Amino acid sequence: MIDLSTALNTAVRSDVPLLPLFILLTSLLAAPVLFALPERAARLRTGLNLGVAAMKVALVAWLGIKVSQGVIYDVSFAMLPGLEFKLQADPLAILFISLSAILWLITTVYSVGYLERGPHRARFFGFFSLCVAATVGIAMAGNLFTFLIFYELLTLATYPLVIHRGSAEALRAGRIYLIYTLAGGLVLLLGTLGLWVLAGNTDFTPGGVLDAVVAENRAAAQLLFVVLVGALGVKAALVPLHAWLPIAMVAPAPVSALLHAVAVVKAGAFGIMRVVYEVFGIDTAQALGLTAPLAALAAVTILYGSLRAITQDDIKKRLAYSTVSQVSYITLGVALASPVAAVGALAHLIHQGLMKITMFMAAGNLAEGMGVKRVSQMDGIGRAMPGTMLAFSAAALAMIGLPPLAGFVSKWYLAQGGLDAGAAWVVALLLGSSLLNAVYFLPMLYRAWFRDGSETCATPARPRIGWWLAAPPITTALMVLVVGGFANAPFSPLEWTRFVVAIEYLQE
Amino acid sequence: MSLAVFLLAVGWPLVMAFLLLFKAARPILWRMMPLAPLPALVLALLTPGPVLVTGEWFVLGLTMGLEPVSRLFLIFTAVLWVAAASAARQWMREDPRATGFGVMFLMAMSGNLGLILSKDAMAFYGAFALMSFASYGLVIHSRDAAAKAAARLYIGFVVIGELILFSGLVLAATQAGSLLLADMRAAALSDLAVALLLTGFGIKLGVMPLHFWLPPAHGAAPVPASAVLSGAMIKAGLFGILSAVPLGVVSYGDHGTVVMAAGMVTLFAALLLGLQQTGAKTVLGFSSVSQMGIIALGLGAGLMTPAAWAAILPVLVFLAAHHALAKGALFLGVGAWAAQQGAGARLALGAALLVPALVLAGVPFSSGALGKEALKAALAGGSPVWLPWLTLALTLSGVATTLLMARAGALLWLAPPSAPRTRPEALALPFLGLGGAALALPILWPVLDPAMAAPVRTSPPGALWPVGLGLAMAFAAALTAHAQKIGPVRFLAGIMAPFHAFSTQLSSLWALKRRAARRTGYALPRMLERHAACWRLGQTAVAALIAAVLMIEVAASQREARITTPAVQMFTQPDAPGIGTADAPGHRQTEDHHAPREPL
Repeated sequence: MIDLSTALNTAVRSDVPLLPLFILLTSLLAAPVLFALPERAARLRTGLNLGVAAMKVALVAWLGIKVSQGVIYDVSFAMLPGLEFKLQADPLAILFISLSAILWLITTVYSVGYLERGPHRARFFGFFSLCVAATVGIAMAGNLFTFLIFYELLTLATYPLVIHRGSAEALRAGRIYLIYTLAGGLVLLLGTLGLWVLAGNTDFTPGGVLDAVVAENRAAAQLLFVVLVGALGVKAALVPLHAWLPIAMVAPAPVSALLHAVAVVKAGAFGIMRVVYEVFGIDTAQALGLTAPLAALAAVTILYGSLRAITQDDIKKRLAYSTVSQVSYITLGVALASPVAAVGALAHLIHQGLMKITMFMAAGNLAEGMGVKRVSQMDGIGRAMPGTMLAFSAAALAMIGLPPLAGFVSKWYLAQGGLDAGAAWVVALLLGSSLLNAVYFLPMLYRAWFRDGSETCATPARPRIGWWLAAPPITTALMVLVVGGFANAPFSPLEWTRFVVAIEYLQE
Repeated sequence: MSLAVFLLAVGWPLVMAFLLLFKAARPILWRMMPLAPLPALVLALLTPGPVLVTGEWFVLGLTMGLEPVSRLFLIFTAVLWVAAASAARQWMREDPRATGFGVMFLMAMSGNLGLILSKDAMAFYGAFALMSFASYGLVIHSRDAAAKAAARLYIGFVVIGELILFSGLVLAATQAGSLLLADMRAAALSDLAVALLLTGFGIKLGVMPLHFWLPPAHGAAPVPASAVLSGAMIKAGLFGILSAVPLGVVSYGDHGTVVMAAGMVTLFAALLLGLQQTGAKTVLGFSSVSQMGIIALGLGAGLMTPAAWAAILPVLVFLAAHHALAKGALFLGVGAWAAQQGAGARLALGAALLVPALVLAGVPFSSGALGKEALKAALAGGSPVWLPWLTLALTLSGVATTLLMARAGALLWLAPPSAPRTRPEALALPFLGLGGAALALPILWPVLDPAMAAPVRTSPPGALWPVGLGLAMAFAAALTAHAQKIGPVRFLAGIMAPFHAFSTQLSSLWALKRRAARRTGYALPRMLERHAACWRLGQTAVAALIAAVLMIEVAASQREARITTPAVQMFTQPDAPGIGTADAPGHRQTEDHHAPREPL
């Protein structure tokens, strides 16, 4: 158990104040080097990638330990008068960057295996690195302005990854992706300006910065909330702004995995979290009467995504609609305005990431190893690729919410939070969503494990997948198991989540 | 007693399931299959008193433990799994999908043992889900159309049951303010929470109208899987209700009425549905549904009248153990019977199958009868309005079960289920062991837990007539069925055949006799004549003899007279003919006699 009172009362300045900046720079500086490396220098590139990723995991672990001891990290410098570039490592940021650091390492391993002998590897890994740097920046942004910078950087860094294959379909997907996210970014810019004008600064502060504004101009604050959540809702794939996500799944498997698990959708959800908790403050947002509509929107998204997922035959498309549904659990937990639900929401940020990255990497392995891209081709695939399918099954059962897997823990907290907030309909919603999850995941497991294989499989891309491809999904599946099974252990995501929520809800 | 022991008991089957994935380990693991539930069994047998252990780090705080009720559940469940595992080892010897079956079997086993040992909602729910989902693989094992349909129905019910259970547990945990099942049991849960819990567990229990999945699944699964599905896993539903619902603490009148009514309906509707089935194992599945109706009666009474619960609880546990052993033995027995080749072995096993069937139906002194009688006694503390009906239903349930057993037996004879042909004698052993355990349960139960066995020990032995009536009805039904099958005319002819034969024999005998008599009639006069000739000759001879004697007599008397009067004359004519001389004195004598009268 992390001792909250010590952590808050003994706020100390760090002896290494620039640690957040180092973490940001690890991947940011790696990017130009990776661009510069010649296409043939595969070993060097792999070594550099893995080295930087591992270093970042170590740095994040160090940072996390320091923060849990009550050390405050705060890096800022003025870019314009009154407009600061600010990085801070609060517990919420730690939650997100540890997810991104660990999953980046794993996805890097997977990408190396996946793109073996493929074209444009230098470009790919360069943007990949940039993408992670942007995610880290989003996580540690100390004000909305900094957040906006990295948010736009993320859009620009992911676009080349989405169109990596260069096919007409990929280009079309990239165009749609760009239209949605750039429009969202533009609205976010408007919102940031609005916030600056209204509040005078854009800092993320637990409890919010808008109390004075709300008191004198309620409508403006409400409008600002709608604008900000609308802008972030594009990346968080809230209905009706979700259409880009299922289309963008044409990207290579590691990109889809990262996009769905850590980078883009999570950036949106994380932004909503920051806006609700640290720009408005949960009590202010509730007082403005804005959390209930947000919860309703999240509920609609959860059901809509699941319903659409049922009819998809393409595995990755089904997973993409599932992401639409699952990411909105986070928004729902935030919008319920109950600390218990918030624990569920934050835990789901991590848990959904682990589950979904497992599924996307497994789906990539199926396509690579057996040429299986559609659900209807999955007959008997469990026998052919047992490791991959075991990982996929664990993640799918976790999504449905079976204990002791990760998904259960977040669902349990969300349900308890719904009851805590006096919204019993949340339990019914979760039941409906779980049922729909079962309806679209169980047939896949049934085909994979209980049907005899057909001979109609397309020709595989390679005869047998290597360890570089096989190990990452198994690792993340084990993490799904461990994170759920040891949810109560110190430094588990859930425990850290409770720490974060205690901070957000103490500022009253 | 540390957490590690409990984790070993639950985790050992899982470890075996994992190792089963490796080809090299498979032969030894199949050999070890009956040992998989052994750690749990040993734990249950060696644990003297209530134990509670916690693991802070697991899920949301893991709590496991054993107390009297769960200990008894664990014992009979583990015994059943041991028997089923040893049967599975033989059953799967030649099966191409043996590995998949083994993995699912072990996972379901771990879940079943785990839920009994769990003391918090998370662990319980997790183990329950593991058991339910793994059993899907057991139901679908054969992959034929019936199995696929049964498995689809099964998984649908499982998913919905899990969701209802999830919402019930979330509500209960919120209302009790704790994740511990014991705290939920002690709290005044809302009507909705209790309804959700009862429904979620009721699906597993198979009480109507939540039973649809049960009979097809039990019919489609391979025999060892049916045994545990029917014996052990549906008891998990009962165990869940006993663990999470505040029975005996708060009164839930409406729920009680519904549950009791459902139990009543279940008892007899399962009979009607079961009799229409065409597979022996499906009929046994309906018998399970019917038996769970009995359990529901007890639960309903407990929900209505908390005061009566203390008496009902031990009886329900006993009934659960009784049904687990008897039904497990029946399923294994059906498989063992079908696997036998020789007529003698089949006959012997058929006779052995009668034991668990009669125990289940409740012949006097068997665990079935004792349990029902004890339940009747325990229900007396409940609602007086329902009591007579409950007593009647419990008594008549013996008839229902007998009929279902008879139907299953007939179907076993007419359409035996498929069974592996190798090592039939090894398949018989687990069945015989389990059947023996079912028979000996009234003796074993007080040894395991004297306090919990008290109501059973003191209950009356029960009546024979329900079983007798059931048998009579079954016999009548069999006759009717036979008549319908071959047509009434032929049937009547069949019935009359012995009489016809008798009369034919009688008439032929009569004809024989008549002919003989006629022959005698013809023969008799001749014979008589012959006889008469002889007789006439004899008569003549006799008459001649008589005449001769008379003559001699006369002659003798004349000579006497001559001696008395002229004696010399007599002696002087010694060679004179006797007759001539005899006449003269005769005349004389008569004249002499007349002479003296004349002067008179």
